[in-house]
Amino acid sequence: MGDMFHLLLHAFSILILAYFFLINAFYLLFIVLSLFGLFRHRELTRFVSFKEVFRLPLVKPISVIAPAHNEEKTIVESVRALLSLEYPVFEVIVVNDGSSDRTLDKLISSFELERSRWVFRKVVAHQPVKGIYKSRAYPKLVVVDKVNGKKADALNAGLNISRYPLFCAVDSDSLLEKDALLKMVRPFLEDPEKTVAAGGIIRLANGCTVEGGQVLEVRLPRNALARFQIIEYFRAFLGGRIGLGMLKSMLIVSGAFGLFRKDVALQCGGYRTGTIGEDMDLIVRMRRHLHNMKRPYEIRFIPDPICWTEAPETLRTLSRQRNRWHRGLLDTLLYNKAMLFNPRYGVTGLFAMPFYFVFEMLGPFIELLGYLIFAVCIALGLLNHWFAVLFFLVAVVLGTLLSLLSLLLGEYSSERYPRLKDILILTLYSLFENILYRQWLTFVRIIAFIDFYKGKEEWGAMHKKGFAQAR
Amino acid sequence: MSPSLILTLHALLFLLLFSVCLFGFIIIRRLVLERSQALFRRVYGQIEKDVLEAIYRLDPDFSLAVARKHKGQAGALTQVLLDFGDNIVGDGRDQLRIIFNHSVRGHCVRRLESRRTAKRLQSIRLFIIFFDPSENAFLFRLLDDKPIIKLAVITALSRFPSAETLSYIFTAFEKDTGFTVQAYFNVMFSLGDRIEQSVKKCMMRPLPVDKLGLLVELIGAIPLRNLAEDVVALAGHPDKEIRIRVARTLGKLLIPETADTLVRLASDEAWEVKAQAVKSLGKLKNMGALDILTQSLFSPFWYVRHNAGHGLAEMGEEGLRRLRKVAGQEEDKYARDMSEMVLNDLIFPGEAA
Repeated sequence: MGDMFHLLLHAFSILILAYFFLINAFYLLFIVLSLFGLFRHRELTRFVSFKEVFRLPLVKPISVIAPAHNEEKTIVESVRALLSLEYPVFEVIVVNDGSSDRTLDKLISSFELERSRWVFRKVVAHQPVKGIYKSRAYPKLVVVDKVNGKKADALNAGLNISRYPLFCAVDSDSLLEKDALLKMVRPFLEDPEKTVAAGGIIRLANGCTVEGGQVLEVRLPRNALARFQIIEYFRAFLGGRIGLGMLKSMLIVSGAFGLFRKDVALQCGGYRTGTIGEDMDLIVRMRRHLHNMKRPYEIRFIPDPICWTEAPETLRTLSRQRNRWHRGLLDTLLYNKAMLFNPRYGVTGLFAMPFYFVFEMLGPFIELLGYLIFAVCIALGLLNHWFAVLFFLVAVVLGTLLSLLSLLLGEYSSERYPRLKDILILTLYSLFENILYRQWLTFVRIIAFIDFYKGKEEWGAMHKKGFAQAR
Repeated sequence: MSPSLILTLHALLFLLLFSVCLFGFIIIRRLVLERSQALFRRVYGQIEKDVLEAIYRLDPDFSLAVARKHKGQAGALTQVLLDFGDNIVGDGRDQLRIIFNHSVRGHCVRRLESRRTAKRLQSIRLFIIFFDPSENAFLFRLLDDKPIIKLAVITALSRFPSAETLSYIFTAFEKDTGFTVQAYFNVMFSLGDRIEQSVKKCMMRPLPVDKLGLLVELIGAIPLRNLAEDVVALAGHPDKEIRIRVARTLGKLLIPETADTLVRLASDEAWEVKAQAVKSLGKLKNMGALDILTQSLFSPFWYVRHNAGHGLAEMGEEGLRRLRKVAGQEEDKYARDMSEMVLNDLIFPGEAA
């Protein structure tokens, strides 16, 4: 019995060590690829004036779709920012998804909206529309008031109402930089047949000075949780997505800011309303559909169009957000499990899906198992105490190193923080991130797993301060 | 000490050292960068002041003196010339050309051989701004470079569209594949009606659908009205994408004689072609198309109804009368709703999809 236990313990230890080395090796590979990707992008765009897009007669118009649910604090500022985007032809469709607060009232009074007799095609299903509003003062703006059906449902309504061949899905509590669309549309101009989706960078506006819907001064937030998230976002976007994009394995275009070809999205049935991870779900289904149709396609990550969003600053709100993200990931991976290890889906089936399955979906359990085995081995005296301490320190320093490499990527891109002091602070936080914050996130994701199997479908209320106070 | 302990200790030391070095590198790089940027800004400011004065004075001797004074600061001077060269035209640009020719020209020629794309591009941009037609041959050599360099060269050539350069541009357009094809459109568009004969000749050759489609779009975008017949000849093309573009282009050329072709396209089997044709018929304001536009309001396709409604609205009083009539009928709810929406849209500004 004792031998069996030791054998099992040994086997699990090897599994966890292999996981530890593999995940860090992959992250390192992504960062190296990202560095090359960033250099290449910088070289190619250094002499490109994005304003030239205005002169191009073939540029495709864009429908910006912004679902809003109880966003009374930020909605007016966000819509103003969307309306002031620089792009030749675009419309802004704000979908009020059954808000119980004054979101719609604020929109009506701020933008002089009037009810319109708008007729639209119901290509994809969604909850009933109560009214469509237009404004004489802001002809680009359309506001849709509909029965609550969650974000995917609101995006479907926006898709039906939109008129243009490209659509940009944005969160209504986010701020797009003025030239974000001009930068984002580039791959659609370069390769209009193949490019079906593109994602940009999401940055955190906490601590920044915001005025007129634009970030005027970039500063680090005072809140520790927001600082941890800045490092995470650096790693995820600059370290992860550019690298994954270069390997043609990007499965997520952030729901806060993504540009898509409408015809392809509609061929896939639009957003799946039964999921809360609608952003990842759409990309995975697009890949699945295009592979099934044997159509060559590209999903690109562009490292310079920036979307600013507000990060949760309390443990409770952050745990809700991460719980939702993880449930969305689980749902998408399980819904599309036929793609896993399936050579028919090329690199998506053989690398991207297994990567997300092992390191993102099962990752929290493997990490937890690692901590448990570590504790058991120490308790049973099977592990040298010095080795335990050293191994833990290796894990912490390796995590910090990956964060530092992401900060370096930030330095090479336009995403850096302006003050030298900021690098010092972020380095310190990247060290401490690996000590308690990371373990807490593992715990949150395990709870999400349990919630998913219990069938929890709640979105989880997100309490935001609003950009005006985002200092 | 056990081997695993030694290995872990070494791994820790290595990672620590690497992290510290990386941290140091980030900090030092930032400090060096800030310092060099401050220095660059200072030098840039001095050069900018002199260049502005040269543009103000319009004195070639003074411009020559500026060139000699700042010859040693090639980086900042190149940037000033790029920034000003894009925005200054006429006599002012002649002064900039003098400065360029007597300061960084040699430097730029050398950089054209650089292995770094960014350096080659920066130099080509300067050559584009201060282009001298006698340097055609010199730029032709770069037509075998990367697509982005090639495009920059073609943009330069398009500034002086001789028969020779036009032939180069169209030959490159026919040969090239991939994303650069769209970029050729922009180059050709900037040439205006000078390319009429080249487009006509190019369309006679067997071209892939994407290139032929681009040329049809180009005819509408410039617009090249003399080529309307060539466009009409493609109305029966087997590829739907070409027929869509034909319908769109005829809506831009606005030649009354093409109305029959558009009416024929408004009955095309593909709804996308119909939608584009009814939109163009509306723009053409051809009263003979009133019936087909009214019928199209009853199409099962949203875009066809939408564009037909807006087309009728553009026809003036008779079009509006027909829209009101359809809005008042009860048999086809979709046609009624669309007519109501278009009438409502006349209050709110908007455009056809």
